Amino acid sequence: MSRAVILGRPVNGQFASEPSAWRKALVVAALPVALFAAVVVQLTVVNRLPLPGGTAPDLVLLLVTAVAVSTGPMTGLLTGFAGGLALDVAPPATHYAGEYALIFCLAGYFAARIAAASAATTGERNPWVELGAMAAATAAGEAGKAGLGLLLSDPDVTHPAIRHVLPGAIAWDLLLTPIAFFLVAWVAGLARPVAERAPRPEFVGAQRLAAAFRLASAGAAPNLKLAGTGAKFTDDRPARRVPKLRLADARSRSLVRTDLAGSGAARPAGAVGRTAKLNFAHSASALRTAAGPALRGRTPRLNFLHSGTALRSASGVGHLGGTPKLNFAGKSAALTPPRTQKSPGKGWIRAGDHPGIAPHRGQRGPGKGWIRAGDHPGIAPSRGQRGPGKGWIRSRGRSAGVGGKAFGTGAGSGLVVAGRRPPKSGWLRTDAHRPPAPANRARPGKGWLRKSKRPRANWYSSGPSTRWVRRSRSKDRWRIRRRSLSGALLPGVRDLRPSGDRR
Amino acid sequence: MLDARRTRPVLIALLVVAVALITIDFRDGGTSGAHSVGGRMFGPVEHVAGDVTGWFRGGGSSAEVSALQKQNTALQLELGQAKVSAQEAAELGSLLKLSGSDHYKVVAASVIAAGGDYSDTVTISAGSSDGVAANETVLNGDGLVGTVVATTPTTATVQLATDAGATVGIRMAGDGQIGALTGTANDFSGTAPLKLTLFNADATLKPGQELVTFGSVGGRPYVPGIPIGRITKVTTQPGSLTPTALVTPFADFTGLGVLGVVVSK
Repeated sequence: MSRAVILGRPVNGQFASEPSAWRKALVVAALPVALFAAVVVQLTVVNRLPLPGGTAPDLVLLLVTAVAVSTGPMTGLLTGFAGGLALDVAPPATHYAGEYALIFCLAGYFAARIAAASAATTGERNPWVELGAMAAATAAGEAGKAGLGLLLSDPDVTHPAIRHVLPGAIAWDLLLTPIAFFLVAWVAGLARPVAERAPRPEFVGAQRLAAAFRLASAGAAPNLKLAGTGAKFTDDRPARRVPKLRLADARSRSLVRTDLAGSGAARPAGAVGRTAKLNFAHSASALRTAAGPALRGRTPRLNFLHSGTALRSASGVGHLGGTPKLNFAGKSAALTPPRTQKSPGKGWIRAGDHPGIAPHRGQRGPGKGWIRAGDHPGIAPSRGQRGPGKGWIRSRGRSAGVGGKAFGTGAGSGLVVAGRRPPKSGWLRTDAHRPPAPANRARPGKGWLRKSKRPRANWYSSGPSTRWVRRSRSKDRWRIRRRSLSGALLPGVRDLRPSGDRR
Repeated sequence: MLDARRTRPVLIALLVVAVALITIDFRDGGTSGAHSVGGRMFGPVEHVAGDVTGWFRGGGSSAEVSALQKQNTALQLELGQAKVSAQEAAELGSLLKLSGSDHYKVVAASVIAAGGDYSDTVTISAGSSDGVAANETVLNGDGLVGTVVATTPTTATVQLATDAGATVGIRMAGDGQIGALTGTANDFSGTAPLKLTLFNADATLKPGQELVTFGSVGGRPYVPGIPIGRITKVTTQPGSLTPTALVTPFADFTGLGVLGVVVSK
């Protein structure tokens, strides 16, 4: 037993993920001992060293933040409070008791919260994030010590003293941060389960599905399969480049957001770049993939549609790839061709109902009529794109672009073009009587759907009926009041106001 | 998050406790019971640790003994000088009704710990059990070091003269002008000298002039006649009411080893 423990991995039961109880107890007991030792060493050794800069690192603060990021918020704040209080009351200290306890408690708590939030987001502990959180918390702790001393008008903590001490102290702390972090992380790792390398991700819902995909494909996309189809969707030729898969749930805002199929607006896919992204939405479960860059990627021949999932695919069609064969199985499909793509032949895609089309920069306009959208194509060409031929897109439905001014003359087409030549006249025909875009629509003038005058806020104006209105002395004023009341109580007037924040 | 739900009340409770501690200590002027409790807890440990580090610093016990003897002679000499200075100050002392100026005893102690970045304080290895009490003068072979601000049974906390909160009444060695000497904070590194302000507006200051302590009533917190330092730079501004100067202390505050506490008999 002892030999196995000395070697650091228990032999009995190689699948035993839990370390032995006494080792855990030893690590837990080591924390207060280490804290006490840090306080004593700080006071008796480090503070007396004639270090360059005239300042010294704070070992206790380093230990607190390192323990915090290696364990958790509770341990972090308790360790911080204990260590700070020890520094407050140990003999040479002349500042007020509780100052360092306050600062170190906050530093330990927030360092651990940052590390825990990162671990919860990505599903695994990232030592670099933990190191960064620890460094930030340490620097903030040093600044907090100075700030609190200044706040309490400590005679020792003056502005010149802070200017002299604080940069040096932070520099010393940052210098020792990696050492403290790896020492503490190593010790804390002894008490953690052995199978630390691949923790079981505790995702919820679709995130768990995404994790299963990632696990099954070992991070590579070409072998991605959906269960139940039984078909092999991989290309036989070896892929040159493995596109990255990124996961995003509904809350994540880090990835490029794409809209649902029915919204009728497609965003330019320029930000998507070369990496394909899989979005596993929570409820809608719309799986979109944009496969491969134009020059290197392979074109998936088939796309797949699971029950209830709308799949969007935009395949890279470059010099190596041929014409993609896209099967848009559903009614909803958005096409996102990548950059420097040659336009395919005329009429190579005929989407059913809702194709959202976003051509890229540098892309030549395709031939006339290569896409004829049925009802709601959302079209947003990027900047720098040459105008396509006349009539290559005929949109009839509601098309909206992103941001900016709408081009066009009087019809107010929804196309958004930035820094682009105006197209030839008539290359886009939209409905003439389509209402203009909401962003550019002028607010209605006075009296459009609003009363010209606000109802007076009298005691009776909020009454439930006109019975509350008493007869006034003047008949004229009575009539005015009655009219204003009827206007105020008209049902639905509030909802018709174009105020925007209607709920 | 379950963890956050559990930790947040604890965090808030500990923050409240910390603020309460600060408030109590602020009310008591930094001498609340927390400090004495901490001193009793950490004092013996620092004692041991200070001995260990002192052994490393001195390179062994024999070197430590020789250093102690050397310090002892220096202290004897210093005390003699102090007595001479006290003789010189006798006229002033009689005016100020200084009492018992020749009943001093020196308790030797070594530095075992030092304060943080902002405070120039050290812990010495002699405490109230050795007769050390608060507000007693601390010196070494070179000159004035500071004053005792707090004691535990085994340790005492010394506020160095370089601390920003320390003010020493001084007398110029030559012409007997009196003034005040304050620390500039955070010169534990020994780079920043002390600031001198004379009370007499007509007095002139020259670099090289030496300073001794003026002395306090009953020798607390400073006994008279202890040499402090030498003027290195006169910083009197034209038009200012008082002459000012920067003073470099005789004592080396970066390498404090053995100190003597002047205890009254």
